[in-house]
Amino acid sequence: MLRQACAPPWRRALVLPLACVGLLAAEAQSQEGPAAGLPLEEQVQLCGGCHGEDGNAVEEGVPSLAGQPALALTNQLIYFRERLRRNEIMTPQAQGLSDEEIQALASHYAEQPLSPPDGKPDEALMERGRELAREHRCASCHRSDFSGQQQMPRLAHQREDYLAQAMRDYRERTRGGPDTTMVDILRNVDDEEIDALAHFLAHFDRG
Amino acid sequence: MPPLTPPTLTRLVLAVATAGSFIVPPLVSAEEQEQEPAWAQGRAAELGESPLSPHATPLTITPEEDIPVDHLRLPDGFSAEVWAHGMPGARMMALGDEGTLFVGTRGIGRVYAVTDQGDARETHIIAEGLGQPNGVAFKDGSLYVAAINRILRYDDIESHLAQGEDIPEPEELTEAFGLPDDEHHGWKFLAFGPDGRLYVPVGAPCNGCEVDPDTHATIHSFEADGSDMRIEARGVRNTVGFDFHPETGELWFTDNNQDWIGEHGPGDELNRLGEPGEHFGFPECHSVGIVDPELGSANACDDKTLPAAVTDPHSAPLGMRFYTGEMFPEEYRDAIFIARRGSWNRTLSVGYDVLVAKLSEDGLRADLSPFMVGLLDPRENSFSGRPVDVLQMTDGALLVSDEQNGAIYRISYESPSYME
Repeated sequence: MLRQACAPPWRRALVLPLACVGLLAAEAQSQEGPAAGLPLEEQVQLCGGCHGEDGNAVEEGVPSLAGQPALALTNQLIYFRERLRRNEIMTPQAQGLSDEEIQALASHYAEQPLSPPDGKPDEALMERGRELAREHRCASCHRSDFSGQQQMPRLAHQREDYLAQAMRDYRERTRGGPDTTMVDILRNVDDEEIDALAHFLAHFDRG
Repeated sequence: MPPLTPPTLTRLVLAVATAGSFIVPPLVSAEEQEQEPAWAQGRAAELGESPLSPHATPLTITPEEDIPVDHLRLPDGFSAEVWAHGMPGARMMALGDEGTLFVGTRGIGRVYAVTDQGDARETHIIAEGLGQPNGVAFKDGSLYVAAINRILRYDDIESHLAQGEDIPEPEELTEAFGLPDDEHHGWKFLAFGPDGRLYVPVGAPCNGCEVDPDTHATIHSFEADGSDMRIEARGVRNTVGFDFHPETGELWFTDNNQDWIGEHGPGDELNRLGEPGEHFGFPECHSVGIVDPELGSANACDDKTLPAAVTDPHSAPLGMRFYTGEMFPEEYRDAIFIARRGSWNRTLSVGYDVLVAKLSEDGLRADLSPFMVGLLDPRENSFSGRPVDVLQMTDGALLVSDEQNGAIYRISYESPSYME
């Protein structure tokens, strides 16, 4: 356990860009998140408050965690914990979680089934999204069924509003985190294209 | 490694082009290329569905029982043990005057310190939240850290650690050094030379492209405070490891060659800097004198310095140090140990090992051969660890960092029983 083997928090030099200092104070950086140290079942209840009891999110803009590759969830939680990815909700939630806790949560959600969205897809949007996904070679990392692999997240059946927002955040460079791959890919993708991609991926059906 | 024979490397795509066609198949169009991730730049359109992409580095702790130290194979008399672990992403190493080992990382944004308690080691996180703090170097009680966008100096760091004190905020030297902050190949190695100057590479901000020869694909040196910048070497695509010859003081460095030109070339490099300012070829001349199919003219290699040795294409030779210790046999004296992180941009994996380079009598060339192997399983084409740096300890043992497992191995030597 590194966290225990390592120096306690007061011995850890925190080196952050000046611009982040205000944000950090607001994050109450020395405090542990509410889930740290709890048994998995209780952690899952806490996460479920926003992400849905079974990892299928029903709240607007909140990603579903069910069916995501375990490594994709693990890496994002570590980026939040290490403050490499700053989000006013998730960065504080992740403080104090150990690697083992993060990996157990990730495996739990990876095993939950993800439900397809309700409602019929818009055929024209689906066709446009399919074309764009081909053009941008989404499948070369996210797999041909968009189920994700390794650190690359599952896109199929993810919430449409979340997908669209995540792509906009990458394009505007506001998502944060050390991954620059998606920033490069979305640089010249406009809103209409992002919306078509999000609709297609949310409703993806191999058919 | 036998030298690659063709004077001009043919792109892999030529080999698969329709017979009878003399037209080079189009690369990905400029507009599409802009939207490729950095690692895919230069990938031919035909290879758009290629499964090759960089392997992700774990950001979590590898449990001690899963660290593949039992896989390691070394020449007779050498043995390996896990010296420190629990440091996800452990990469470049530097030794403090009091024996503290400092370890840089990339994705996880941390710098670690390892203090030796005799039979056990204690690990500390001394910095976090940095942008790929790969480079670490130590001088006069201070630790220097190079992140993509910053150069930092931590004064009296070992005494703060020894007294269990808070590590004070570092001195920000970023402006004094004034280095570019490109993400692509922007993670930096750091080392002090025998002249007391700090040597800092700036990689090419691309897979292959024209660069300003005074700002990119260079090795610079500075006074420790960031003043008096000099360009030591040009045309160096991406070096992530160097050291200085213990006798001559010459700078020797590894360099990673271009991806997507071919599975079998151009070979990665070990170089020797003879004169300050020499040009090592990037982007128009690669490896043993291979003219770039797009950016190089016929005589592009004429005025370039060719490598002292080449090794497998894409094998990623990174950290390297001369061995000056007494523990290993005489034949290792002044040889170079080179950590190879291992390939991603070829179907059959190579590297994932430590090589030893033995210099020729005239000190201009080197022979490479395997020293520490076993992390690559060629039958499965899979790997269990990725050596990134080597470092000689004061007792002559050699440390090897394994980024994949966040572990550091210690390699020691005792004469085998069959030797008198």
